[in-house]
Amino acid sequence: MGHCHKHVDQPKAEEILPKLEVPSVLSRVEELIRRYPVPRSALLQVLWLAQETLGWLPQEAIKWAAAKCSVSPVHAYGVSTFYTMYKKEPTGRFFLQICQNVSCHVLGAEDIIAHAERTLGISSHGGTTSDDLFTLLRVECLGACGNGPVMQVNDDFATDVVDGKLAMPAGVALTAERFDKIVAWCRDRAKSLSKEPKRDATGGIFESKGHPGAKGAVSQAQGFYAPVPPALGVAAVRTDDGKVKLTWRAAPETTTLHIEKKTGSDFAVAASISGKEKEWLDDAAEGTEYRIVTETAQGRGKASNVAKAPAAKGA
Amino acid sequence: MSNFYHMPVLPKPDAKKVTINVDGADVEVPEGTNLVEALKTIGIDTPHFCYHQDLPVSGNCRQCMVETDGPRGMGLAIACYTPVRAGMKVATDRSSDKVKQARQAVMEFQLANHPLDCPICDKAGECSLQDNYMAAGRHESRMREDIGKLYKGSPEFRHEDAKGQERGGKHVDLGPTVILDQERCILCDRCVRFMRSVAGEEQLYINQRGDHAFLSTFPGMELKHDYDLNVTDICPVGALTGKHFRFRQRVWNLSKTETIDPFDSLGANITVEHNDGQAWRIMPRRNPEVNKSWISNRTRLEYQKLSKDRLTAGSFQKAEVPLAQAVARAGELVRGARKVAVVASGTLTLEDNAALQALVAGLDKKAELFSGSWAKVGSPDGIAQSGDPVGNRLGLKLLGISENLDELVARAKEFDVLLVAGHDLWALDAQKAKALEAIPERIVLSPWHDATTAKATLSVGVRAWAEVRGTMVNCQGRIQMLNAAPILPSPDLEPVWQVVSSIGKLGWTSELDAYKAAQAGIPALAGINYRGIGSQGRLLEGVVA
Amino acid sequence: MTTLTVTQNFGKGAKDIAVYRKLGGYSTIGQKLFDLSQFEMIDLVQRSGLRGRGGAGFPTGMKWSFVPRGGKPVYLVVNADEGEPGTFKDHVLMQEDPHRLIEGMILCGWALGVRTAYIYVRGEFLPAIETLNAAIKQAYEAGFLGENIQGSGYSLDIYVHRGAGAYICGEETALINSLEGFKGQPRLKPPFPAVSGAWASPTCVNNVETLMALPWIFENGAEAYAAMGTPKSTGTKVFSVSGDVKRPGVYEVPLGTPLMELLESDKYCQGVVGKLKGVIPGGSSSPVLTVEEAAKATMDYEALAALKTMLGSGAVVVFNETRSVVGMLASLTRFYAHESCGQCTPCREGTGYADRILKTVVAGKGRDGDLENMLSLADNFSYTTICPLASADAGPIQNFIGKYRAEFDAVVARNPEHADERVTPAFRPGAFW
Repeated sequence: MGHCHKHVDQPKAEEILPKLEVPSVLSRVEELIRRYPVPRSALLQVLWLAQETLGWLPQEAIKWAAAKCSVSPVHAYGVSTFYTMYKKEPTGRFFLQICQNVSCHVLGAEDIIAHAERTLGISSHGGTTSDDLFTLLRVECLGACGNGPVMQVNDDFATDVVDGKLAMPAGVALTAERFDKIVAWCRDRAKSLSKEPKRDATGGIFESKGHPGAKGAVSQAQGFYAPVPPALGVAAVRTDDGKVKLTWRAAPETTTLHIEKKTGSDFAVAASISGKEKEWLDDAAEGTEYRIVTETAQGRGKASNVAKAPAAKGA
Repeated sequence: MSNFYHMPVLPKPDAKKVTINVDGADVEVPEGTNLVEALKTIGIDTPHFCYHQDLPVSGNCRQCMVETDGPRGMGLAIACYTPVRAGMKVATDRSSDKVKQARQAVMEFQLANHPLDCPICDKAGECSLQDNYMAAGRHESRMREDIGKLYKGSPEFRHEDAKGQERGGKHVDLGPTVILDQERCILCDRCVRFMRSVAGEEQLYINQRGDHAFLSTFPGMELKHDYDLNVTDICPVGALTGKHFRFRQRVWNLSKTETIDPFDSLGANITVEHNDGQAWRIMPRRNPEVNKSWISNRTRLEYQKLSKDRLTAGSFQKAEVPLAQAVARAGELVRGARKVAVVASGTLTLEDNAALQALVAGLDKKAELFSGSWAKVGSPDGIAQSGDPVGNRLGLKLLGISENLDELVARAKEFDVLLVAGHDLWALDAQKAKALEAIPERIVLSPWHDATTAKATLSVGVRAWAEVRGTMVNCQGRIQMLNAAPILPSPDLEPVWQVVSSIGKLGWTSELDAYKAAQAGIPALAGINYRGIGSQGRLLEGVVA
Repeated sequence: MTTLTVTQNFGKGAKDIAVYRKLGGYSTIGQKLFDLSQFEMIDLVQRSGLRGRGGAGFPTGMKWSFVPRGGKPVYLVVNADEGEPGTFKDHVLMQEDPHRLIEGMILCGWALGVRTAYIYVRGEFLPAIETLNAAIKQAYEAGFLGENIQGSGYSLDIYVHRGAGAYICGEETALINSLEGFKGQPRLKPPFPAVSGAWASPTCVNNVETLMALPWIFENGAEAYAAMGTPKSTGTKVFSVSGDVKRPGVYEVPLGTPLMELLESDKYCQGVVGKLKGVIPGGSSSPVLTVEEAAKATMDYEALAALKTMLGSGAVVVFNETRSVVGMLASLTRFYAHESCGQCTPCREGTGYADRILKTVVAGKGRDGDLENMLSLADNFSYTTICPLASADAGPIQNFIGKYRAEFDAVVARNPEHADERVTPAFRPGAFW
């Protein structure tokens, strides 16, 4: 687990492949790979799957994941060693990870870790009890600082046992007593349940169509479903030399701006200019009304707000 | 890491120049290139570890720091990933204390966990750590010895030494050619990028992270590739060393001779490195148009043959004779023959082949010139080999020598003397060559004892490719120079053209005479002398479409 | 009564889509949205003044406006790799109100033309991933995800990507690398993800909280959001408060709220336990505030920058007089050395070396000059690397030692009562991994 420094005896390919090359695993691998534009991107998830299936991640499983995701074995090895949650050695049935980072440290994580080491008689640097029930590891921030000090038992946060279940109620921190309670719960469970039920390491994936560009998925380009962007914030000001200056905000894909001026009761196009323009000048009397209609490759957008020319300066 | 998308933009000879300000002075540099290259064009070397001209930019070593102007004023940036922009301001360590401090700091970090075993390190003398350390100039250590070092290494190689210090992998056998010292590795990932983007087979990777990161192959798998020894060149420190060169020579004792690989028609540019009259290694010589910075393992190990099985004298009727005597005897045989078959070779220089051509011309109707090769032609590997083992095949074509070796086989009985140079015919195709045994007098000029000299009635030792000066034309139509390294196994050995000149009484005294003869036969060579070819070769106009 | 824009559904069972819809959820995914152009949507977010809630505080609308449209596919990646020590808001947000995140993603997806979106959740949050996946499944069934959402012609798929334990993946380019199946190492910039991110396509990386603020903004208008907070730090922010307070937890307050109000108010933390010694205001990377500084701090980007610290992810870590700052700093330097990706030399070797010096000091073997060396190392590895992780380590080193120097000096002088010897019993290289 984590950055393991020990040499670990590795099982042979023929020992683990029969567990991985089964339809239930393979169909999930396929589902995971379909979610990304390239198979390589599913590597982290496929490694999770291998770890879920085998309980840890032997080297042959890394090779297997690499082949599934079309990457080199050494790439998968590098990736699997970069991340701390892939277990490079088997752990006990209950993998206790206690946070030692700043919030938990402030609230006495070191005391809890010392207590755990004493109670279980193992090192907090990855020690496993002789009955293979517990592995203890001090880890960095678990992201539950409000309950600090906190602990994870396998994949669940646990600072207490509530109604016979591991729980992390709001504001309840791990104490030596609660730690003992959790350990007792684990021991009870070990007596009543021969082994931990499998838990989906990818969090309960469901059948999806997959990435539009992925193999087997329905390819569909994202079209221009949204309306044509109108011009926003049209404003008219008077320049020093007495002209009316129109300014606006337009989307980058705008090709043409149709500047409309009200004559009588109707707006009529006064000028059509490039969508890249930022301003437009006109000679007009006070109160002249302007609005802008944009055009993109898709068509015309709705008309903008109406801006009125202000009075000439000094007038 | 996926920074491997970005190849560095290198300055092109015809690139537009822009003005930038370096250390307070306005200078002109090529547009678009990165600052390391731009500063190089004005004579400023920027120290670096991870940057390499022919590899994607990774930007991880942080040694090439300079100051550039940005929206928030002058700030540190890595020169290898900062493109030149007209009007930009750059401060190097010559004017900026901040840059000097940054470079010193990176050096201190690099050495914090480095074993400093230079006395037993093969890279010493050409090590970037040593060079950059001297350049950066923080020469006193402030690290506490009792804190110890954190040596890098795979879990399976970690151990405690006699002093109780945890150690990493010191000599990890990566495969048939390369040994890895994980402790020395500075994790620049050049080798990883080389294997991934040049060799195309990802076999190395940096595993784990932080200061526990280490370089390795997949546990139990090998580093094995036709080009894998290149990683020992690009390794800026002594982490990756070639088994063939480990503990053989101190690199500062080696002299260098620039030449090319004659056994492939791409003619990879190389340097033969020698000491005490012996070649110790071959290193790639960068030529962006030919082999970039790479050579195949085959090219690299050619030097080993230069001191093995050499034919240093003549041999006549199975008895060794002095060279001069053998040459004289060859002259008599050729000149007195009824009909001579002369076989030119594409593994010899233009000069050698021009001499053979002149010999045949001088003998008038009594001699005929043949050429060609029975060597298998492969396909280009896209790195530094064309796959054609006949280095000067195009040169021969330009000289007008046709590939008609099989015709000689068919007509062998017409000749009474055979003169073969630069071919191991019997090794390439003993069955076809058998027909040539019908020719009673077989003269072979060869640097080595080989299958062909074994069949010769008269053999004459000549200089090998690394010992001659001359020219070859590669498959791109580029004429390139071979230069003579002072590594002759016997001082009496002469180049092929000179032996041929003696046989045919051509009276040539230097390879320039031979080159002139080649020039006469190849219009594209008009006006090009040796100096004009230069170290990077010269593309001949209109030779390859 | 504070207006809540993100946490209003807490404790109401909004995990279930029926409850969420009853509370007004998914009401924005209708004609009002489908009549809106992408440009208007981005403009709306720009006008709201919403800034990235992950740490850097970059204006969200501006980030969106950099994303090119009409070319390569655009990806939305939600940064739920919450790993900054002290931060746990996203964890709670995803657990309590996953549908609000999905709704925010649909709004963002509409604005940027996203077809496929990923939620990158840190590996430790498996329960949250399960919650999210269940919510996503419900959203698909209700027609808010998948093809042709509510008959609009717009299609969006969301996948959860489980990380595997690497703090650095919270950096957006490292996160993209991790999503792509590489080691989570930050990339050289430019190109920025908005132009070339995941699979070399334009990619928008947003924090969970940022996206969860969108439904409220869309429903109530940019102006209503901008009216909250301060002129430059608009809206509300979710703070994770931990350490020595009576009621640690996740609290949403308008930006600009005084720090002490957050800590003392009965609505929030209900006071400090013991006598206050200092506060880390924005996650472990942000420089620490002394009692005096904490008293004048208001929680917005500008006010904290003026105090030479930062709002960061809004993780407030409070510690009282009984706590050893040496031990706290030791736990931080150990963390950054552990989480350095190992790419850049200064960070890889420097964070580890600084940590080993401090460990030696903590073990009672400190010498004169050790602290100066640490400060000098910190100075040397900050702002010289690809990403800000090394600088995030340098900040606490410089500030803890700078602001609590006497306490450090006492430990160097082998004064065991100030030293927290249990941080690591004795120095042994590699043993703490």
